[in-house]
Parts: sequence; structure tokens; C-alpha cells
Amino acid sequence: MFSLHNQLELRKVTISSLITCIYLPSIITVISYKGILYSVGNGSSCYVLALIFCAELLKSFYLNSSKDVHARRNKVNKNKAGDILRGFVFMLCVKFAFFIGIILFGAPVLECHEETLMLSSLLTLLTIFPLILHTGVETSMQLLFGIKNYGRDTVIEMLVNNALMTICGAWLGAVVIPLDWNTPWQKWPIPCYLGAIGGFLLSNVLTVLKVSLMSGATKYPILNILVHVLNGFQISK
Amino acid sequence: MLPWMQYRWTSLCLLVAGFGTLTLFLYGYFPLKYNSGKLSSMDDLPNFIDGVSIDGQQVYNSGENSVVLMVIDGLRYDFVTEWYMPYTGQLIKNKSACIYVSVAEPPTVTMPRIKSPERKKEKAQWRRTINFWRDIFAMMTGSVSTFADVALNFGAPAVRGDSVLRVAKARGRRTVMYGDDTWLRLFPGLWSESDGTTSFFVTDYTEVDNNVTRHLDKVLAPDENKKPSFDFLVLHYLGLDHIGHLEGARSEKIKPKLGEMDQVVKKIYTAMQQWDRNGVLIVCGDHGMRDAGGHGGATPSEVLVPLVVLRSQDFVCPHPLGQGPTVAQVDVAPSVAWLLNAPPPGDSTGRLLPALLPQDTRQHLYLLHVIAQHNTKQSLPTDTEVYRQFERAEKQFAHYLATGQQSAAKVAKVFYEESLEKMAEYLASTSTDFDTFALVIAECILYLILVALFSVTLYSVQPSPRRESVSHHAHRSHAGSIVAFVVIFCIANFVLVTACYISETKSQVCAFNTPWITVFAFLAIALTVTYFFIKTGYQKIRDLSIFKDANAVDNLLILATPIFNFSFFGTSFIEEEHMTWYFLWNTLMFFVLVKTLMVFTIYVSKLWVGATEVQDKPELKLRMATVGVGILPKWVLLIALHRYLRTMNQTGDRWLFLPDTADWLNAPENSIYLQAHLVIGTLATLKICLSNLSYLNNIIKVHSVFTIAAVLCILCYRVATGALDPPLFNSNIKSWDPVFIVDLFWAILLAQFIFEIISYIGAFKSCGLEPIVTNTPESNKFVYNKPKAKTEDYFYDSMVEEPWNVDEVKLNFVRSMTHMMLNDLMLIVVLLMRPHNVIMVPSIYVTCALTSQCIDHKLLDPKSGNKYEVLDIVSGTLAHMWIGIVFFFYQGNSNSLSSVDLGSGYVGLREYCPARVALRMGLHAYAGPAIAGAALFADIAANADTWQQYLKTIWRATNILAWHRMYAVTVYCAVCILFRHHLFVWSVISPKLLYDFVATVFSIQALATIAQIEALAHVTNMLARMFTYKSSL
Repeated sequence: MFSLHNQLELRKVTISSLITCIYLPSIITVISYKGILYSVGNGSSCYVLALIFCAELLKSFYLNSSKDVHARRNKVNKNKAGDILRGFVFMLCVKFAFFIGIILFGAPVLECHEETLMLSSLLTLLTIFPLILHTGVETSMQLLFGIKNYGRDTVIEMLVNNALMTICGAWLGAVVIPLDWNTPWQKWPIPCYLGAIGGFLLSNVLTVLKVSLMSGATKYPILNILVHVLNGFQISK
Repeated sequence: MLPWMQYRWTSLCLLVAGFGTLTLFLYGYFPLKYNSGKLSSMDDLPNFIDGVSIDGQQVYNSGENSVVLMVIDGLRYDFVTEWYMPYTGQLIKNKSACIYVSVAEPPTVTMPRIKSPERKKEKAQWRRTINFWRDIFAMMTGSVSTFADVALNFGAPAVRGDSVLRVAKARGRRTVMYGDDTWLRLFPGLWSESDGTTSFFVTDYTEVDNNVTRHLDKVLAPDENKKPSFDFLVLHYLGLDHIGHLEGARSEKIKPKLGEMDQVVKKIYTAMQQWDRNGVLIVCGDHGMRDAGGHGGATPSEVLVPLVVLRSQDFVCPHPLGQGPTVAQVDVAPSVAWLLNAPPPGDSTGRLLPALLPQDTRQHLYLLHVIAQHNTKQSLPTDTEVYRQFERAEKQFAHYLATGQQSAAKVAKVFYEESLEKMAEYLASTSTDFDTFALVIAECILYLILVALFSVTLYSVQPSPRRESVSHHAHRSHAGSIVAFVVIFCIANFVLVTACYISETKSQVCAFNTPWITVFAFLAIALTVTYFFIKTGYQKIRDLSIFKDANAVDNLLILATPIFNFSFFGTSFIEEEHMTWYFLWNTLMFFVLVKTLMVFTIYVSKLWVGATEVQDKPELKLRMATVGVGILPKWVLLIALHRYLRTMNQTGDRWLFLPDTADWLNAPENSIYLQAHLVIGTLATLKICLSNLSYLNNIIKVHSVFTIAAVLCILCYRVATGALDPPLFNSNIKSWDPVFIVDLFWAILLAQFIFEIISYIGAFKSCGLEPIVTNTPESNKFVYNKPKAKTEDYFYDSMVEEPWNVDEVKLNFVRSMTHMMLNDLMLIVVLLMRPHNVIMVPSIYVTCALTSQCIDHKLLDPKSGNKYEVLDIVSGTLAHMWIGIVFFFYQGNSNSLSSVDLGSGYVGLREYCPARVALRMGLHAYAGPAIAGAALFADIAANADTWQQYLKTIWRATNILAWHRMYAVTVYCAVCILFRHHLFVWSVISPKLLYDFVATVFSIQALATIAQIEALAHVTNMLARMFTYKSSL
């Protein structure tokens, strides 16, 4: 549940979610107009991941931007290159863990490694990457294992919620695979890939919706009911 | 009614009632109009028409004919045009040939798309046979087949009833078949000459057809008397269908292929001109194809197929040019039979193709009469308008025969045709019709029983139902409740009777004759009893607070189990049910993994940070201590194991053909790995069994000896059947008799059981065989003793004050029995399983053990307490059920009849014995659920502290199991009703219904076994009292 106390954070959350709601559908629309939506599983569609990578990076610059200047300076003084390196190593580990996990969940073992790798890269990008950018390796690791509670940090809450929704989307995407419609988009890993993107998008849309409703609720208290309903959607407890 | 709800086996009784209702449902769902088996002969032809005599056989005679039936697979209506088939199109234009629109029975399954591995050929073969079944069945027997025809011919899909080929053989005709070997399997022994081709290689669309065409020159060439060498020739061309599957109906290759077919038609037609007898060529497709190339749907392009009739001599098509009249596929049978001068087949309901009817009025009318009379015999009631029309036609025909008036002949013809048309309609509707009233009533009763079971279950999962408060209520209204029962029973009867009359049904349920009145009474009683259960449940269920404490894992189990059943409203989810279960099971494993990971990391980090904090939280330490730190790696390994087992057998329909691990293991060059699987599986089972023996009364290790002997028997059996290479030192095991080994195996299990019972009764005490006394209290757990100090006169005490530890011994007995049951079940399944599947058996046990450890709330939830006790039972029971189902699919089962392993039915049998074979097959198919269930009950017995607690736990667990079974059946029956006219009703929906039926039988059996064990505990206790009493004297 977001709090209205920190207006600055709330604004940052809303704007970054709005950016996501714009750039992600644009990417999907462009590639589907190009007719290459169903080749997202191939390695050749790496540029989608690159675009998402850049977008998330920019978003995180914005999210981190107006932090306390002193805190920033402290951080800068530390070994930045080492931080980045550690972040990459950690992301590689997470990606590998996703890869193994997806295979354990039923992806083909001996073939389609390329497709599975693409899916795990996407999942890493959408779940862990923003968290690392925002909080750093250690904190995100602690968040991951449930040791640290994110308390009242709205931004982290949003990020964790996004991550969970992404995983759920990928998980639900697998439902259509056994249907006998013989459509091209039932091929591995397209349903899960699109499901992950859909989950991420949905999470962002919900965030925007909720913030706008919350600000509206100050005027019209009846909207609080809707806010309550939306809170039910939030998986991160 | 409350005592009934508290009765421990109420759920079992309700389940049995539900089973009865399900049987009624099956009766309504599968119209039992299967082949009467009536064989027709020439003597059946009528010699009198309404009293006017006529020489039937002479008039019926069609002259000398040779018939060629050319079936082109996948030939759809718009393929027979001048563009695709110039020669045939020309003939139709000249009126030398007639074209009809024939409506195919929608085919059921499509072909496997690519080459199937050798091992799966049998499965694929079965599916293909079912695919062709309806079309060929309709064309050759003249009747529409029902699912009963398929299910009752299980395993050997041959047509048992009458067919064109049977009557042709009886009349001494020569029948020849070139083409797909399904025809040979459907009509074994009825062909004079044949060359069957198998066509598994869908990429091959030239060779399959050349294999047919290469015989044509020889078979069409007339002999010296200018007669062809056959009377009836069947040609089945598959190439067109294969092209359709590969490239679709718009493919470049379609036109050359159809041109080739056209050449074949030309060849046959020109050859027919050379004969001095009449030649008839019938060209038809068995089904069409979609533009995309597949078939299996009910769209016009798939169902409408052309039927072209050509005749060699003096033939002009009587129909105007155009698309031609519509005929049915069943019309081929009587037409061909007549051309062969044979009577129409016994079950035929078809008519003669109009173009073939002779010009001669007398013969024409006589043929119509024969066919009409034949069709009236197909269970057509005599009091219908159709029948009266037929009688009128008969009168006119007789009038014509007597007087020769042409006007009478015309009237007779019109009447006959009208009545034939009506008859075809009537027979088509009755042969495929369901007993809708029975279906609806059965579904309603099933639903009520489900709600009753649901209230019983909810009642039982309340934290502590108070028995005490009830006891004084019970006496109060004894007579009153009887009166209430009678009143409700009368109302139920009244409602049912009213429903019968309002719906004006023809159903047997409302027939009120002797056998059915009992069914009716059963339904009324079921209504009444469920009413009382629901009412009591509504009043008494108060405290459902346990569901508020459920964590994510519980919620998943409790919510996903009922919601899952609604996925059956999509037929692909029925076909691919295993995917849904794998999905759910994966999710569960993932949830548990996350939970365990959290507990683990918290524990480790606390341990790392400082020991003081752990000391502050002793309960955390306790939680980890019960399972150990190893739980996490174990769980990860379990997930990996499941991933491996999932690759073992491809199942379902769409991905059946993909090679799987079992294929790889069964390849001859990998036999060493297969044997390793077999040995590891067997030895792991042995180890589990030996560890389970600690719950048994293992006097001087006798049981260990028994178990090891049984496992040795299994290994010897494997060696004797050649699945395992004999060990070096003794290689003559190979020559031993497998049947004898299996008999020995049964004897060992039986001896073990008897030994256990006797040891409980205490008979060994008198022989001086006491259990070895050690210091642990466990060692004398099987001895009846008095915990209190003995008094001199305890035999004379009243029974109430009996100080003996009866309950404790009973609990020990139940523990021992359930574990022995689990052991025996595992050993039997190891014996029955295919070598590559043996590894499943220990896996099920390990999965059950680990899962029940991991989902235990002691581990997962920070606050432990008594309130989780019931929740533990609920989620534990559901989890074991899931495991059973998941392994059911790992093992290679699916919802198709083709995946039933017939081979396992004959383990250790010399000759066919239906009951034993069915039992073995059933146990083999349901090995997963059976072992998981046995593990659940063994677990319950092992964890119970007191006899009372055991009984209560069992009560809850059985209620949940019974409820789930009933729930699955009820939802699925609703699916069946909804989809009763669905295209896949045969191939997908009906088999699953049969599976559900068998699963219900097994559930009843499982619950009954638990009830028997409890009864046995009481009986042995009684016997033991007698023994102890005597020996002590």
C-alpha cells in the first residue's frame, strides 16, 4: 500500500510507471507491425532486450536522481566500476538461476536453449535489474531472500511488485500452450515471453491507476473503495 | 441426522451412492444399441407381399456384377471437377456417371503428423483405427456405430457383427482389398486376397498409392471367360490425405495427385468395358479436408464428400446435372450387398443408391420393399406413422402384383420412398440419442450427493466437533425423525414422478417396470438422504476458522483443486490434462521451495549473526531440527527428479509422437541403462520397504526375510522374462517359469500377512517366540499388558474398567497394517511396471515423504500450535492426491483409451481370465494414486498419538478424498452433458468418463480397505483377548 506522505516519491513512481506504460507497448506495437513479433524467442531479437535495458537504465537514473546529494556523493566515492561489475555478475547468476528454474518447470532440456535463454534474460531485465539499479546488489539480495523488509519505501515496493507481477505473467502465459489451436504464438517461449511483458505492463498500469485514484480520493472519498480493490491485486505483502 | 454425519464411514456410503448414480449416467450416455450380431441370409428375403406370393430370390437377383469401391482419403466435394479430374468430370457431364453428396460421419482423430517411434506404433495404430472406424464401419455394415462398439471391442478393434464382406463371403463372392491395412484389421479373415499397406510416413504420398495401383493391371484383367478375377474390390488411396496434412488443400501437389486418381478411374472404367458382366465403380472419399489440410472438424469442407457411381453398361444418370442429391454413407452397404447378389447386412439401416435401382418396376418395388422391411426390423416401433406408411406402400405393391396397375406401382413407389426417408431420420436419431432424462436426473442426484459430502467434509474439518453435546439430543426425536424421513421420501417420490410425466420422456427410468422401479426407488432414497445431510450440515457447520490460517501453499492446494476441474470445459485441456497437473504441481513445488528457502535463510543468517538470537528463538531451532538443514537441497533435488520423470513418457495427444526417455532407454543399444533403472528402482523400493518394517511386529526379523525374498522373486521374474541379464554365477534363472515365480511372490506376500495377523493375536507367545526385549518402549508395543500394577482378580473385572492397553495395541496394529499394505502395494507395482517405469515407485514414496515434511505447518509457519492440526490434514491429503495424479501421468497414462497398458494385465498369468487381467491392468494404470494414497494412510497412522486421534484423522482424510472424487465426477458429468454433440465426444470426452468411472471404483476400494483395516483391528483385538485369556489361565 502506497502512502501519500512522500509526495516526491509518489510522483517519481507515477512518472516512471507512465513511461513504462508508453515505451513497452510502443516496442511491442512496432515489432508486431514489422511482423516479427513471433520471433522474439530467437537470438536475433536481442534488440528488444537492449531497448528494455536502456529504458530501464534511464528510468532508474530518474528514480535515483533527486536523492539526497550527500548520499550520492558518498556512493560515488566508492568503487563504481566494482559496483557495476558486481551487478553484472549478480545479474548473470540470476539469469542462470532463471534458466535452470524454467527448465525445471518444464522447458525443453536438450533443445530450444536459445529461446529459454532469451526468456530468462527478459525476466532478469524486468525483475532484478531495476532493483539492482535502485538499491544495489546487497540490498536486492536481502530483499530477495525476505530478510529485509522494504518498509515504507514506495519505490522499492513498486519495483518488487513489478517483479512479482512479471513472474506471475510468465507463469500464467504457459496456460495457453496445451491448447490445440495450432497458432504460431503457441510456440515456446512466446506465450511466456509475452506473458511476462504483459504482467510487467499490467503492474505499471495498476500503479498509475492507483496513484491517480488515491489523489482523486482526497476529493471524492468514494474512490477509496476502488483503491482498496486495487490493493488486493498487489502480491507483495 | 447428526450421528450419521459423525459416523466415520458416511463418506464411503455416499461415495457408493454416487457410484450408483454415475452408473445410471453412463447408461444414459452410452446408448447400448451396439451390434445385435444378427446375420442375414437369402432366406430372409420375403416371399409374400401382403399375402401375394413372389419369388423373392429370383426378383432380388441383380445379375452378374463386379463392384469396385475406390476410397480416396481426404477427397472433398470440390475436388471432383473437370479442372482436377478431367476424365471423371467428363463422365459426369455425359451422364455416364452419377455424383452424389455424401455426408461423412465427422472423423474423430487426425493422424500422427510425423513418424512415430517404433514403441508408440501400437498407440498410434489404435488411434488411426478409431479414425477410420466410423467411415469404414458405416460403409461396410450400413449402420452408424456408437462408442459402445469401440469400447467393447477394446484392444482388438474388429467388427463383430454383420457386414457386406460377411454376406459376400457367405454367398461365395471373391473379395479383394488393396490399400490401408485398417480394413484388414477391421474385417479379419473375410478377404479372399489382400495387400495391406501401413502408412505411418505421412511424408510419403507416392509410394502408398503406387502400392495400391501396382496390383490393378493384374486384378482388372479379365480371364478367358471375360470375367474379372474378383466380385468386390476395395481400393484405398491415402496419398491425397497425406498431401493435405503436409501442405494443405491449396497445395501444388494436389492437382497431379488428383490427376493420378483420375487415371486410375479411367483405367478401371476402360477395363470394365472389356468384361462381359456388369461392372460398377463407386468412388468416394471418407472425409474431406480443411483448406489448411487437416480434418477432424464438422465444417462443410471436411464433412461433405463426393460419391461417384459409374456403371460399365447401359447406364444413364437419372439425376439432372448439378451437385447431385444427398445420400448417407450407410447407403453404400445395402447397395453393394445387392450388387453382389447378397442380402443387406443384418444391422444395415441404409437405402439403395437411387442411380443403381433397376428400370423394371417389379424389381424396383421389390428392392424398395426389402430395404424398407429390413429397416423396420431395426427396432422401429409398429405404432408410428412411418410404419403405417410402410404398410400402405406394401398394400399398393401387393395390389400392383395382383393386377398389374401402373398407377398402384407409382403410388407404392412414392409411399415406399417416403417411409424410407422417415425411417432413416428416425433411426439416425435413435441410434445416436442419449437418454436425456436419465442424464439430467443422474447429474442432479450427483450434485446433491456432492453437496452432502461437502457438508460432511466441512463438518469434519471443524476444529473439534463436540460429540458430547449431541448424545442427549439423539434420543429425543427418534420417532420424529422417522416420520420426517418418510415425509421427505414421499415428497421426493412425488417430485420424481411429476418430473417423469411433465417431461413426457421415453426414458427407462420412468418406465415403472420391474427392474427399473428399484432404480427409481434408489433415486428417491438418495434425494431424501442427501436432503437430510444438507440440512444438518447447514445447521451444524459453524466454525470454519481453520481456513483463515491457511498459508500460500494451503491456499494453492485448496483453491486449485476445485478450480482445476473447470478446465475440462476445453477439450484440449482434457486431452492434455497432464499439462495442467504438471503446471499445478510445479507451482506447488515452487511455492514450497520459496517458503523453505525463506525459513532456511532466516535460520542460517540468524545462526551466522550470533548464537544468542537463535537461543532467543527456540521454536525456530525446533522447526529446523525436525527436518534438518538438508531439507532445502533435498527439495531442489526432488524438483530435478520430477523434471526427469516428466521426460520419461510423453503422453497426451499433441506431443505423443515426440521421442522421450523411455524410447531412448528401450533402444537395444541402451539396454544397460534400462537395466540400471530397473535395478535401482527395485533396490530402492527394497530399502524403503525395509525401513517401513520398523512399524511392523518384526519378530526375529522374519518380515525382513519375507521382503527380501519377495524382491528376489521380482528380480528373478525380470531375468526370466528377459528384461534383465542374468547374473554371472547363475545363468539358468532364464529358463525358470515366470508364472511359477509370480505365484511364489503372491505366496510370500500372503504368508507375510498371515504371520503378522497371528503375531498380533498373540499365538506366538505360546510357542515361546517373544519379541526380543530391549530397553526401548517400542519393543513391547505389540504385547497386551496392563500398565497398572496387576491385581489378583483382574479377569473378573467388568469390561469397562479394563486396564489393558487395548487402544495402544490397536493403533500399533493399524500402523503395522497400513505400512504392510504400502509395502505390498509397492512390491506388486514394481512387479507389474514396465522396466523403465520401475523407478517411479520409489520416487512416489520419496515425494510423498518429503512433501508431507515440507508442507507441515510446523516448518513453514512461525507460530506453531494446535490450530494447524486440521489444516495439516487437509493440505496433506490434497497434496498426496496431487502426487498420485501427477505420477499417473508420468507413467505414460492419458485420457485416451490407447494408453492403457494391456501387457501388464498378463503378468504371471497363463491364460486369459477377465477378472484377474482387469485387476492387474487397473492397478498398473492407477499405481500412482494407489501408492500415494497408501503412503498417506501409513503416514496418518505413523503420526497419530492415540487411537482416538487416528480415527479422527482418518475420518477427515477419507471425507476429503470422497468429496474430491465426487466433485470430479459431478463436474465432468456436466461437461459430458454440455458436449454430448461435440465432435470429439468419442475420442476425448467419453474415454475420460470411463477413466473417471474406474477412478471412482478405486476410490471406493481404497476407502473400503481402510475401513477393513479398522475392522480387522477390532477383530484381532477380540481374538487376542480370547487367546490371552486362555494362555493366562
